[in-house]
Amino acid sequence: MSKGLFFSIFSGGILVLLFSSVFIVDERETALVLQFGQIKSVKEDPGLAFKLPFIQDVVKYDARILALDTVPTEVTPSDDRRLVVDAFARYKISDVVQFRQAVGVGGLRAAEDRLEGILNPVIREVLGSEGVTSNTILSADRAELMARITRRARTLALPLGLEVVDVKLKQTNLPEQNLAATFSRMRAEREREAADEIARGKEAAQRLRAQADRTVVELVSEATRKSEIVRGEADAETNAIFAKAFGEDPEFFDFYRSLNAYKIAFTGNNTTMVVRPDSEFFNYFKSDSGN
Amino acid sequence: MKIFKGRNLMVSNNGGPWGSDSNSGDEKDSGGTESPVNSGGQIPEIDELMKKGQEQLRLLMGGRGGKKNGSGSGSGSGSGGGGGLSRGSIGLIVLGTAALWLFTSLYTVKPEEQSVELFLGKFSAIGGPGLNFAPWPIVKAEVIPVTREQTEDIGLGGRGDSGLMLTTDENIVDIDFQVVWNINDPAKYLFNLAEPRSTIRAVSESAMREVIARSELAPILNRDRQVIADTALKLIQDTMDQYESGVNIVRLNLDKADPPLEVIDSFREVQAAEQERDNFERQADAYAYTVLAGARGEASQLLEQSEGYRAKVVNGAIGEASRFSAVLEEYKKAPDVTRKRLYIEAMEGVFGSMNKILLDDAGSGQNSNIVPYLPLNELTNSMGKKLGESN
Repeated sequence: MSKGLFFSIFSGGILVLLFSSVFIVDERETALVLQFGQIKSVKEDPGLAFKLPFIQDVVKYDARILALDTVPTEVTPSDDRRLVVDAFARYKISDVVQFRQAVGVGGLRAAEDRLEGILNPVIREVLGSEGVTSNTILSADRAELMARITRRARTLALPLGLEVVDVKLKQTNLPEQNLAATFSRMRAEREREAADEIARGKEAAQRLRAQADRTVVELVSEATRKSEIVRGEADAETNAIFAKAFGEDPEFFDFYRSLNAYKIAFTGNNTTMVVRPDSEFFNYFKSDSGN
Repeated sequence: MKIFKGRNLMVSNNGGPWGSDSNSGDEKDSGGTESPVNSGGQIPEIDELMKKGQEQLRLLMGGRGGKKNGSGSGSGSGSGGGGGLSRGSIGLIVLGTAALWLFTSLYTVKPEEQSVELFLGKFSAIGGPGLNFAPWPIVKAEVIPVTREQTEDIGLGGRGDSGLMLTTDENIVDIDFQVVWNINDPAKYLFNLAEPRSTIRAVSESAMREVIARSELAPILNRDRQVIADTALKLIQDTMDQYESGVNIVRLNLDKADPPLEVIDSFREVQAAEQERDNFERQADAYAYTVLAGARGEASQLLEQSEGYRAKVVNGAIGEASRFSAVLEEYKKAPDVTRKRLYIEAMEGVFGSMNKILLDDAGSGQNSNIVPYLPLNELTNSMGKKLGESN
C-alpha cells in the first residue's frame, strides 16, 4: 500500500522537478534567467532551455519590433513658425541585460515612458536646430531630418538596452489657431487666380477683336489697292486706245471732240448765252451771200 | 468433527476441493462423537474474517476480477484473470487519449492561409493549405491569412487624424487613402513586428505626409495623383521591408485629394473663372469670325467692282475710238463738206436748246464806249420763272 503511494508521489515530484527546470523560448521572445534576482544567463535563441528548479526564475521579453507613438507636440523651427508634430518610433530590445538593469521590473511600460522622454526633446532639438525652417520640414529634406532624429534617438536609447529602428514624423501641421489664417490665405490665392483668369480672358478677347479689326482693315485696304491698280490699268488702256485712234488725225480729233463737248456742255435750257451774231454759224444770218 | 475439519481446512487452506471431500469422508467414519453446536459457531467467523482479508488483499493486488474466482482458483490464477479483463478498458483510455491528441495536433489551413510551426518555440516549418500535423505539445502552429487582402483606411477622420496635410507651399490638402496589403512571409510577419496593423497605419500616414510635404498643392489635386500614390506606396513598402515585416503592400488607393472644406468654394470659383475666361475668348472668336468674313466679302466686292470698271471703261473707249475712226474714214473722203456739216449740226443742237441773247453791236460802233444795259439778274429770274412754268 504505502509503496504504491510513495511511487506515485515520487514520480510526481520528478515531473514537477523536470517541468520547473525546463522552459521554452519562443521565436518572438528573449528569456532572462534570474537566480534570486541575479541575472544568470540570457537565452536569445528559440528552443528548449534548462534552469535550476525553484531557485532560478525566467523572465521573458518581447524580441519583436515594438511601436511607440508620441503625443503631438508643438515645435518651433528656426523661422519661428510653430508646427504641431507627432512621430512614431519603432524599436526593439537589443540587450536584455541592460534593459533589465535600466528599466527594472517596470518592463515595457516603463521603457515606453523613458523612450518617449528621449524622443520628444530629440524631435524638438532636431527640428529647432540651426538652419531648419518650416520650409525644410515641408520639403524633400524631411527624410534627412527623420534620419537625424533616428540617429540621435538611437544613441540616447542605447543605454536602455533599446535599439531604435527608426523614428518617423507623422503629422506636421499648423496649430489650430493658424489654420484659419492659412485657409484665408488659400482663399485669397484662389481669388487672385480667379481674377487673373477673368482678366486674362478679357485680355485675350480684346486681343482677338483687335486682331480681327486689323485683319479687316488689311483685307479691305489691300482689296482697295488692287482695285485702284485695276482701275489705273483700265484708264491707261483707255488712253492707249484713244491715243491710237485719235492720233490718226489730231486736227480732226480736236474739231470733232470740241463739237461733241459743246453738245454736252450746252445742252438743256439753263444756259443763257449772250452772243454777237458774227461767228461762222451766223454767216448767213444777215445776208444770203454770207458776210 | 467439524472443528477438526475446520482446522484441516485452515491448514490446507489452498487445497481446494480436497477439503470438502475429506469432510464427507469423516462424517462417514466417525459420526456424532462430539456435539458440534458449541464451538462450531465461533470458529467459522474467524475463518470468514480471514477469507475477507485475503480477498481484499487480492483485490488490491489483482484488481476487481478476484471476487469472481475467489472460491476456486489460487492467487496466481486470480491475478492473471484480472489483467486480461482490464486490458480492454485501458486500451479504450489509450485510444481516447490518442484521438484527443490527434485532434489537438491536426489542424486545417484554408487556401488563403499558411501556418507557421514552432518546434519547442523554434521556427521549424511553414504549412500550406490542407490538413497539417503539429504533434502537441512540442510543435505549436499559428495559422495566418496570407494572400487575403486586408485594408487600412487612413484620413477618414478615424482616430483623430482628419487627413489634413500640409504641402510644401504651405497649403492644406485633405487626403483620404486606403492601403491594401497582404503577407508575403508569414514567419517574418509573426516574428518581427509586435503590432503589424498599427505599424502599417503609422508608416502609411508618415509616408503619405512625407510625399505631400514635398509636393505643391496644385499638382496634387489633379495630374500628380497617380505619381503620389506610387511614391507613397514605394515608401511604405521600403519601410516595411526595413522592419522585415513580411508585409506586402498590394495597392494604394488615393480616394480623395481635395482642398479642405473651408476653402473648396474658392477653388470652385477659380473653375468658374476659368470657364468665364474661355467664354470671353469664344465670344471674341465669334466677333472675329463675323468681321473677318465681312471684310473678305468687302474686299472681293472692291476687286470685282474695279474689274467691272475696267471692263466698262475699256469697252467704252474701244467703242468711242471705233466711232471716231468710222467718222474719220468718212471725213477723209469729203473733208470740207463733212467738216461744215458737223459744225453746223453741232451748233444747231447747242443754240437750239439754250437761252440766247443776241447783241448786234453795229449801232453802237466798234469803238464806242457805250455799254449796252443788260439786266442779267432780271433776265435769269424771268427765265427761271418761265422754266418753272413750263415745267
